[in-house]
Amino acid sequence: MSSTATVGDLVSQNYKYGFVTDIATDKIAKGLSEEVVRLISSMKQEPAFLLDFRLRAYRQWLQMEEPDWATLGYPPIDYQEIIYYAAPKQQQKKSSLDEVDPKLLETFEKLGIPLSEQKRLSNVAVDAVFDSVSIATTFREQLAEHGVIFCSISEAVKDHPELVERYLGTVVPTNDNYFAALNSAVFSDGSFVFIPKGVECPMELSTYFRINSGDTGQFERTLIIAEEASTVSYLEGCTAPMFDTNQLHAAVVELVALDDASIKYSTVQNWYAGDENGVGGIYNFVTKRGQCRGDRSRISWTQVETGSAITWKYPSCVLQGADSVGEFYSVALTNNRQQADTGTKMVHVGPRTRSTIVSKGISAGHSANSYRGLVQIGPKAVGARNYSQCDSMLIGDQAAANTYPYIRCQQPQSSIEHEASTCRISEDQLFYLQSRGIGFEEAVSMMVSGFCRDVFNQLPMEFAAEADKLLALKLEGSVG
Amino acid sequence: MVAAPVVTAAAAGSGAPALAWLAELAGAPLPTRRQEDWRFTDLTALAAIPVGVAAPAAGRALDPWAELNLPAGVTRLTGTAAEAQLGTALAASGCDQHWPVLLNGGARPALLVLKVEGDAGSLELPLPVSAGEGVAAWRLLLVLEPGARLELLQVPAPAPGQRQLLSLVSEVVLGEGARLQLGCLAQGHNHAALLHHLAVRQASASELQATLVSSGWGLARHEPRVVQEQGAARTRLLGLQRVDGRQLADTHSFVRFDGPDGELDQLHKAVADGSGRSVFNGAVQVPRLAQRTNAAQLSRTLLLSDRARIDTKPELEIVADDVKCAHGATVSQLQSEELFYLRSRGIDATTAAGLLQRAFCHEVLRELPAAAHRHDPMTALLGAA
Amino acid sequence: MSAVIRPDAPVLLEIRDLHASVENQPILKGVNLTIRAGEIHAVMGRNGSGKSTLSKVLAGHPAYTVTAGSVFYRGENLLDLDPEQRSRIGLFLGFQYPVEIPGVSNLEFLRVATNARRKERGDEELDTFAFEDVVRERLSVVQMDPAFLDRSVNEGFSGGEKKRNEILQMALLEPVVAILDETDSGLDIDALRIVAGGVNQLSSPDNATLLITHYQRLLDLITPDAVHVMAAGRILRSGGKELALELERSGYDWVDAELARLDGEAERQPLEVA
Ligand SMILES: Nc1ncnc2c1ncn2[C@@H]1O[C@H](COP(=O)(O)OP(=O)(O)OP(=O)(O)O)[C@@H](O)[C@H]1O
Ligand SMILES: [Mg+2]
Repeated sequence: MSSTATVGDLVSQNYKYGFVTDIATDKIAKGLSEEVVRLISSMKQEPAFLLDFRLRAYRQWLQMEEPDWATLGYPPIDYQEIIYYAAPKQQQKKSSLDEVDPKLLETFEKLGIPLSEQKRLSNVAVDAVFDSVSIATTFREQLAEHGVIFCSISEAVKDHPELVERYLGTVVPTNDNYFAALNSAVFSDGSFVFIPKGVECPMELSTYFRINSGDTGQFERTLIIAEEASTVSYLEGCTAPMFDTNQLHAAVVELVALDDASIKYSTVQNWYAGDENGVGGIYNFVTKRGQCRGDRSRISWTQVETGSAITWKYPSCVLQGADSVGEFYSVALTNNRQQADTGTKMVHVGPRTRSTIVSKGISAGHSANSYRGLVQIGPKAVGARNYSQCDSMLIGDQAAANTYPYIRCQQPQSSIEHEASTCRISEDQLFYLQSRGIGFEEAVSMMVSGFCRDVFNQLPMEFAAEADKLLALKLEGSVG
Repeated sequence: MVAAPVVTAAAAGSGAPALAWLAELAGAPLPTRRQEDWRFTDLTALAAIPVGVAAPAAGRALDPWAELNLPAGVTRLTGTAAEAQLGTALAASGCDQHWPVLLNGGARPALLVLKVEGDAGSLELPLPVSAGEGVAAWRLLLVLEPGARLELLQVPAPAPGQRQLLSLVSEVVLGEGARLQLGCLAQGHNHAALLHHLAVRQASASELQATLVSSGWGLARHEPRVVQEQGAARTRLLGLQRVDGRQLADTHSFVRFDGPDGELDQLHKAVADGSGRSVFNGAVQVPRLAQRTNAAQLSRTLLLSDRARIDTKPELEIVADDVKCAHGATVSQLQSEELFYLRSRGIDATTAAGLLQRAFCHEVLRELPAAAHRHDPMTALLGAA
Repeated sequence: MSAVIRPDAPVLLEIRDLHASVENQPILKGVNLTIRAGEIHAVMGRNGSGKSTLSKVLAGHPAYTVTAGSVFYRGENLLDLDPEQRSRIGLFLGFQYPVEIPGVSNLEFLRVATNARRKERGDEELDTFAFEDVVRERLSVVQMDPAFLDRSVNEGFSGGEKKRNEILQMALLEPVVAILDETDSGLDIDALRIVAGGVNQLSSPDNATLLITHYQRLLDLITPDAVHVMAAGRILRSGGKELALELERSGYDWVDAELARLDGEAERQPLEVA
């Protein structure tokens, strides 16, 4: 590309995860009703408490209105046109990977997530979720030796019902918001993690989500519990095939950290974003919340959001325990017609709680990228501190960057600092790099990753390089 | 003149019956906290205002400004000459249907339209009120011809001890290269409320500096709204609000650049004490055609009591790539190191805290037009040192 | 222009009747200059005479449009090439005002740039470790603290530090033709010696240097083979190193007379290349 091209053309990269796996699935009929909720629960042979939980959520959902306050534009979703449960046809979760349909293993391998014994990543345990169902979890035995439970939430319901009952819905109540209520009613699967007291989880845990069916909504539910003085690092990755219809993804993630526990939750989200005209793509409406219940506990969210047609997502921390710490590091890249409305909420309840927010938004093409944040310091949060930094980078003059950092403070002995800036890649910076022999696209991607460095530094090593590449890929052709 | 829209009685279901008369006056129901712009500002406080029109003081003569001495270069317009420009800044800045503006229109405001040519020096505009209770309303339109200059000070003040709602709507049209330095020094009391809209249209190369200071009101809301119609103008917005007791002060600002090369420099400060509430919402819009805009917004709050509360929400919307937009917000108590330093020099804690508060406020107060000095704004705000 | 200095050496850079404008404003109005291997040229001239413009046009800055003339680099049409390609084949510009690039690590930047040049030359690219060794060795040429490697490109560097960083890049890229735009300005006396030492150390019979400077003090340390005076977008006079001394003594007053005389000529002849 010549140097006279503008920074606007680099973004039309083909989505390389857009294939569909041809596999027989069990689906229930389209639409949502109390019967459907009961059917999901009975298909999964759930205990009564869970059916009650689902029904309560469903009834609450019926009373709620879809939110419209985010600066998002999308046609109304017909909730009766969605299939709420789809599972690859296979009787039961297999005890060994050899019994899993090779097509599924192949799918995940193509996605760069080999599950088989020989090929799997050496230091990452993976739970692979295909449409609504977890198909395999690696390294379970090794983890069990440390007392760590890592399995699908369906299995957790069967094997550890008391833990699920104690924690499910305690961070994100069923009536928290429209999509959380919907998820609570119909969630199909997801991951469950339990780290017992004093245990430092010996490897990275990771869930890989794959939406395959065209008309299926994905409603997964993740629950991570870190008992006293335990630590865990968890990573979530996502892709979906290319369809020209929109698919709904409404997940709920709940994290609980007890005294001195630490949870690090990283996401690299690369759902299909639709084409350059905004046709197709995932609607990603996700509720993620962590509760620092214990003193000195710590929850850290790191996200790299590059996909989805629409993203609506505010990973949050409720800082209850004294001296607890919440962190949010985010890179959100939007291109073409993508819309992202993302940010975080840091709710300081306990004394001397601290939070840090670093958000980097990059908007290219005709996309819109909004940061929406809340920092709330309650009356008891004596000595609380927050520092936020939100930077936007605009590429091309058709892209929008919005910033809505909301601050509420009721405690005089606290301090909040917020900084935000907007920048673009200047012609002179580009020229400087080029005049040292660095190609145009590489120069742009160097500057974009420089812009995101504070966030990438927070990702687990293996994924930082991945995120860098992903961003470069997404921007290809948008700059020029 | 100001056509209030007809709102059906059904839509006017504004809760407290004590407020019904205000809804009727405005021809529209009171905003509720379910509306984003009013989320933190509860107007039910206005229920304490007794029904009535506390007309501006010269009420009998209908024109409180009949005797006003205007400096050279400033002329008063009436009749059709006045009406031609009336409402244009409100419409341009998107607030002609805002409830406080509708209320102002419904409350039969005293109207003053001034045309300014050349360098007109400075003018202090009295906003006298009668001793009665109820609503008092003023409507002001300033048209600065190209190249004109004016310093204008407004000092809205309720009659002592009277339960009054002061409604002030100022419109300003700045011609090319015109310069206005506007100050509003609003000192209220616990039984009074102030609703103030300032709508400004700026032509290119014009300069606006608006300094809005308020303290002591049961409820005060300022809405400075500025549109740079061709960009390439300079806007400075300064705000300082202080709350104590159960007072509420709210500033909702809005600035839009409809052309390239515009500049905004905004500083909003708040001091919250007692059980006071302070709200700041600062919207800045930079559409695609506003390339090379340079906008900076800073909000700083001093929170002095553990019963006080502050809500701050910048809103930046940018659709242009070659822009510089920075904003920042801080909330803090008085810096303990600074306090300590002063105390280590023999100054007692209370005096030291006072000094630091004064320093905090001074940054905004010094930007008021020179005419403000005789009102001793620092003492009005913080009491005697 | 004065006589050819090294008539047998190959021509590295040949600028002919170069016209260029920025934002539709003509700045260069017919520059002619030939640079051969082994030569050091100095370009002087008043502020605003077009020296930096010339250097940026040579480096291919997109804001400048070449409206007439040609530039050949070792026989290749330079104006056809992207800026990065020019660098890869050995043209280096030390900027008068090096830009700051927040977030991009200086070390990473230097490595990518060096490898781009190495690749072009068919040399093996250096991994992070091998590069660290190379860069540390070159750092000593400019006596720069290794701490600068961990910072962002030029961000927060003092004026002199930026210039040293430019020379470090030159040392790493080993250019064939180096254009140094006021690399001496903003340097303290020691730094000036270091930079001059660096330039001398890096120059060889196979490469050439074009120094843009206002001061004799740099030319005391780097002896030029030719000195050119730019005015109003062209080279008005050329001579040996004594021309610089003369300028130092008597300034640029003669330029106005000369320009007036040239403007007076009905048909202005392009200054002949020797
Ligand atoms: N982007 C631009 N737009 C308009 N004029 C420009 C631009 N860039 C350069 N010029 C003008 O071109 C002329 C030559 O500038 P140049 O930077 O080449 O001068 P110089 O000889 O390097 O001066 P100095 O000794 O001060 O570095 C100056 O008059 C300058 O103002
Ligand atoms: Mg120069």
